[in-house]
Amino acid sequence: MRHQQGSALRKYRATSSLLLGGEQHTARFNYFYTTLITLIVQGFPCGKIHKATLGLCCGFSSRKSEAAMYHNSSQRKYWIFKSEAELEQKRCSANEAFRKKVIESGKAGMYESMFLKRNEEDVLFRHYERRLLDFCSAFKPPMPKSVVGTAIMYFRRFYLNNSVMEHHPRIIMLTCAYLACKVDEFNVSSTQFVGNLLHETPAGQERVLQQILEYELLLIQQLSFHLVVHNPYRPLEGLLIDLKTRYPALENPESLRKSADDFLTQAVMTDAGLLCSPSQIALTAILNSALRAGLSMESYLTECLGLKDDKDSLSKIFDLMRRTKSLLKKYELPKAEEVNVYKQKLERIHAEFSSSSNKRKKGYEDDGHVAKEARLEEEWTDEDLL
Amino acid sequence: MIMEQYSILGRIGEGAHGIVFKAKHVQTGETVALKKVALRKLEDGIPNQALREIKALQEIEDNQHVVKLKDVFPHGTGFVLVFNFMLSDLSEVIRNHQRHLTPAQVKGYMVMLLKGVAFLHQNNIMHRDLKPANLLISSSGHLKIADFGLARLFSHEGRRLYSHQVATRWYRAPELLYGARRYDQGVDLWAVGCIFGELLNSSPLFPGENDIEQLCCVLRVLGTPTVDSWPEMLELPDYNKITFKENPAIPLEEIVPDTPPQGIHLLYRFLVYPSSQRCSASEALLHPYFFSCPLPAHHSELPIPHRGGRPPHQHPQAPPPDFSVNLSLQSSVVAPVLLKPHALLLPS
Repeated sequence: MRHQQGSALRKYRATSSLLLGGEQHTARFNYFYTTLITLIVQGFPCGKIHKATLGLCCGFSSRKSEAAMYHNSSQRKYWIFKSEAELEQKRCSANEAFRKKVIESGKAGMYESMFLKRNEEDVLFRHYERRLLDFCSAFKPPMPKSVVGTAIMYFRRFYLNNSVMEHHPRIIMLTCAYLACKVDEFNVSSTQFVGNLLHETPAGQERVLQQILEYELLLIQQLSFHLVVHNPYRPLEGLLIDLKTRYPALENPESLRKSADDFLTQAVMTDAGLLCSPSQIALTAILNSALRAGLSMESYLTECLGLKDDKDSLSKIFDLMRRTKSLLKKYELPKAEEVNVYKQKLERIHAEFSSSSNKRKKGYEDDGHVAKEARLEEEWTDEDLL
Repeated sequence: MIMEQYSILGRIGEGAHGIVFKAKHVQTGETVALKKVALRKLEDGIPNQALREIKALQEIEDNQHVVKLKDVFPHGTGFVLVFNFMLSDLSEVIRNHQRHLTPAQVKGYMVMLLKGVAFLHQNNIMHRDLKPANLLISSSGHLKIADFGLARLFSHEGRRLYSHQVATRWYRAPELLYGARRYDQGVDLWAVGCIFGELLNSSPLFPGENDIEQLCCVLRVLGTPTVDSWPEMLELPDYNKITFKENPAIPLEEIVPDTPPQGIHLLYRFLVYPSSQRCSASEALLHPYFFSCPLPAHHSELPIPHRGGRPPHQHPQAPPPDFSVNLSLQSSVVAPVLLKPHALLLPS
């Protein structure tokens, strides 16, 4: 009897919270509010944001936050870059730094043509990034989108300043996923995590886990201990809610969701997250989705976001859209044959160089353990992984 | 090596995830607390608590009532978190203070605590482990919230389940004691209420010896909850597992005697069963309690005990600066009469 009452009450509460703006809604409005603030921060003029909207959001978040979390974030401060050229330059420096280091170490048997060129590195990077996405998508229990987004962002940030030749992406990608799970409080045990490496024996899984744990410190260091990643998924929710509440011209905002979601999934695999704020990406996703459905959203920007007389901001948005879309367009999955050739190159580099590339192991004093790992690394081939 | 920038002065204590050292930044001479997080032989790698602490403190701006994470750097098998050095914490203040704290002092601590909590909640951070030992006291008497090992960003994922094994038992909110997995910043506000009571009484309000007894302690004072007083109770996981003999509430006046009615009123606002009814930190700061006589004590009027309760050595550091943005107007404005003699020294 009591149990029945409880479950009825739960149902009632679930419905009412949707209708009346319970916790779930409050959270959404917070995010929406954050989105708005982000828009402001990113150059949308403050006075132009509809006052009623701000009021609405504040009202809804009386006990929750009014803070613009993205505004203070390490992402905005340290991980948003000016241009694609700047990113490319960083990656080139990482490639060069590795070459220099090897040549200076005077290691016999290493010559120029053995190294991966920047474009070759990029092919491998995209290959492993794809595999990281596949690993996360097949993960059990299902991994929330934000965790996947965080993992891939870690991977991108890591290889902005490191060469794949120095640290093998097959272990870095798993370390990124593992750290993302922990940071985003997606609680899976370490055994459960490596249990998702379906082609590994339990002993193999244990070995991979040991490697992940060894690389974790290096990863977090290379991320400069900046752990929080703001993904575009929640700003997207915020924009959809805003469309529903303030933009009646659009009959069915939900119809934009599918294509916008796909857009975000693709955007994750590009540099968009290193160039634009999450809300900018989300807005682009919505506008793009509307465009594809043949719907005009211009009046949403001019009226609802109050940009009618602000040609500057409008052109900024359109410019941003073009940039993000061209990033997505440019993306292509690397060809299998290319990947195979470069992979062999990579394996050779790691085989030649592994004995002296134990920088990450410096901290681990347990010598027996390190020796064991070095041997295992050779045993563990790429194909065993997924 | 960054570690060489610091010279270790001694050991402060053992935190949840590592040893805390007192150290001096060689170049600036600044005294800091170094929290060493070692990673060796850990099954799951970097402990979640360390990650949470970094996560919470790195994404917020400076606040006067929250410890500042000055730096993080790798060291040996782990890494080191650098904080401002704090002389003491509120549990030592309560423990070592011979007499009860004066009403003004209690108010002074509460204002600082509430300002810190309000800031955290505005930044979407639930601390989840507020207790006197985690409220550090600086050499200038300021209170700063520390130990973010259990802190979470809330509203991050609306539907996520949280662990109910958070918060030190005495300060654990009743919904947590009933095994709630979905809760909000109200758990911090409950803890604020417990700390408030402890400041008034100089002893913990609900000193349960174990989880069941903890619930007994709370129920004994607040009375057994009913569906009317706490409708959400029906949905809590452990609600059906334990039944208690019904007993009426004890008026808080009897629990914290010698407390003015406004203080009692504010305490009631924190110590209520439904989390949604607890007074938010920013709202509490506007409570008449803080605007009636005696007014909250200035931080320089607060006791500053030393670690381990020992009397202070000769202070090698400069005395704390007397400037504070919280200084009352009267004490920051100088009477012109007092300036007059000095004016004679100025060139005309």
